Amino acid sequence: MELAAKELTVRRGKKEIIKHASVFVKNKQFVGLIGPNGCGKSTLLKSIYKSLTPESGTVYLDNLDVLKSSEKQVSQKLGVVGQFNEMSFDLTVEQMVLLGRTPHKKLLEPDQPNDFHRVDEALRRTRLTDYRKRSYLSLSGGEKQRVILARTIAQQPQLMILDEPTNHLDIRYQFEILSCVKQLGISVLAALHDLELAVMYCDYVYAVKDGDVYAHGKPEEVLTPKIIEALYQIKCQTFINPVTHRLGFAYGL
Amino acid sequence: MVTRAAHRSGSAYLYYPLILLLLFLIAASMVFSVSIGQVHIPLRQSMNIMLHILSADHIGSLDSVTNDSYFNIIYQIRMPRVLFALLIGMGLSLCGAVMQAIVQNPLADPYIIGISSGASLGATVAILIGFGAAAFLSNFGIAFGAFIGAVLTSAAVLLLSSIGGRATSVKLILSGVVVGAFYSSMSNLVIYFANNAEGVQKVAFWSMGSLAPSSWDKVPILASVVLAGCALFLFQHRILNTMLLGDESAVTLGINLSLYRKIYMVLAALITGTMVAYSGTIGFVGLIVPHICRGLFGADHKRLLPATLLLGGLFLIWADILSRILIPNVDLPIGIITSVIGSPLFIYMIVKKGYNFGG
Repeated sequence: MELAAKELTVRRGKKEIIKHASVFVKNKQFVGLIGPNGCGKSTLLKSIYKSLTPESGTVYLDNLDVLKSSEKQVSQKLGVVGQFNEMSFDLTVEQMVLLGRTPHKKLLEPDQPNDFHRVDEALRRTRLTDYRKRSYLSLSGGEKQRVILARTIAQQPQLMILDEPTNHLDIRYQFEILSCVKQLGISVLAALHDLELAVMYCDYVYAVKDGDVYAHGKPEEVLTPKIIEALYQIKCQTFINPVTHRLGFAYGL
Repeated sequence: MVTRAAHRSGSAYLYYPLILLLLFLIAASMVFSVSIGQVHIPLRQSMNIMLHILSADHIGSLDSVTNDSYFNIIYQIRMPRVLFALLIGMGLSLCGAVMQAIVQNPLADPYIIGISSGASLGATVAILIGFGAAAFLSNFGIAFGAFIGAVLTSAAVLLLSSIGGRATSVKLILSGVVVGAFYSSMSNLVIYFANNAEGVQKVAFWSMGSLAPSSWDKVPILASVVLAGCALFLFQHRILNTMLLGDESAVTLGINLSLYRKIYMVLAALITGTMVAYSGTIGFVGLIVPHICRGLFGADHKRLLPATLLLGGLFLIWADILSRILIPNVDLPIGIITSVIGSPLFIYMIVKKGYNFGG
C-alpha cells in the first residue's frame, strides 16, 4: 500500500501549523518522521489519519481518497498507534485487541472465529498471549503500548501510522515495538524521537521543521550534523558505531 | 487450534447462570410484589387471581377469593405498578450505562445532560400554570409537560455542546450543568410567583419520583419506548465499546464518535423523558446499577447491557416493595428509597479495594 499526502496545510486559529507539507510512503517501506517537539509531526500525522481535517491538500492510500472517504473505509486499510491511551473504564487485554476488528464488522455482525484467530495472532506477535485476561488499566506503560499495537495488528492494516510509539518506554520495549512493526512487512509511517532508532529501522526519513519538510532522503543522507543542528539547535557529531556498524550520534552544546 | 470457547474467561461460565438467576429473581419478585401491600390479601388468593389473569381465565379459580375488591387491587393497582417498576428500572439503568459511555465518565447518570431539571420545569409549569385552554386531564398534563421539558433540555444541551466543532464529552457535561442550572432557576421562578401552596407541594412530591401514578393505560407507551430502546442498544455494544477508548482511537477504528454520541443522546433523552414524565426523577438507579454490573462482568457492553437491564429492573422492583411496606399505610416516594439504598452501596463500592470501573 502506498501513501501519498500532498501539500497538506493545517491551520489552528490564524497560525499555520503545517505548511504545504508532502509525505510519501512506498509499498512496504518504513518511513520515519523526525523533528523537535512542537514541529508539527503529530499534527501532520493526525491530518493524514482523519483525526484533523486539513485546510488544503490531498491524502491518497493507493487509489482511496482518504479525506473524502468514510472513517470506516479508511480504517480498514490504515491502522494507528497513538501516543497515549488512557481511559476511565477498564477492559481486558483480549477485549481491547478484539476492538481492532471493528472496521471489518458490519453493524450487527457478531465476532466470528476468524476474528478470534486474528486476535490470537496479534497477541502472539506482541508476546501478550499470557496477558489475555489481564485488565488493561493494571498494565505498565510499555505493556499498554503493546496492547494498542496488538489492537492495530488485529485491524490488519496495510499501512500503519505510529505517533512516537516508544515514548516513555525503556530500551527493551522500544526495540520490541519497532521490531514487531518491522516484521509485519507492511508500509509504515512513524514519528520517532530517537535518531539511532530511526537509523536502525527506517528506509527513508522526513525531517520536519516548523510545520514543513526540511529535508528527506535515506537516513544517512538526512541525519547529517548540519541538518540535525538545524532541526534541534544542538551541536552533533556523527560517527560509525564500531559495534553496530551503524550511524551513531554524539551530542553537545 | 484454539477454539472460541477457550477464549471465554472464567467469569464467562458464571455469566449465563447469573443472567438466568436474575431472570428468575425478577419473576419471583414480581409475584411477591403483587402479593403484598397495604391491603392484606392472602398469598393463596393473590396467586389464584394472578394465575387467572395471566392465563386469560383458563387456570386459577376466583371462587376462593373472599373479597371482590381483591381482584381490582391486584389487577388495577399492583400489576401495572410492578410492570412500571420493572420497565423504569430497566430503562434508567440502560440510559445510565449509555450516558456513561457517551461522556466517557463513570459519574454520568441518565440525567447528566440536564434532563431532570428540564422535566421538572415542564412539570412545574404544567402543575402551577397549566396549559390553559388545552386543558388535558391533570395527570396527563404533568406527564406531557415533563416530557416536553426533558426533550427541550437535551436539544439545548446538544446544540450548546456542538457549537464550534465536535461535541466532546467535557463540553457535553458542562453544557448539561449549565442548562440544568438555568432550567432549575426557571422552575424556582415559576414556584416563587405561583403563590399556590397546594401546587408547590405537588411539585415537590412529583420531583421525589413515585410509581403511584402507574396504570394500565400508560403501560403500552412506556413498554414500547423502553423495550424498543433496550433492543436497539443491545446491538450497539461494539460502538459503545469503542466509545470507551475516546474520540481519537475511535476514529482510527472507523467510528465517528461525534455522530454516534448525538444519535445515542437523542435516543437516551427520549427514553428518559418518557420515564420521567410518568414517574418523576428517580435518582441513583442509573448511576449505580451499571457500576455494580461492571464490577461483576467487566465493561464490555456486550455483557454489561443485558446484566444492567435485568439488575436495574430487579433493583427498582425491590425499591418499590420497600417503599410500600417500610412504613405501614404510607406509600413513600420511590426516589427516596433508591437514594437511601443507593448512596451507602455506592460508598461501599468506592471504598472497596480493587474496584476500578470494570475489568
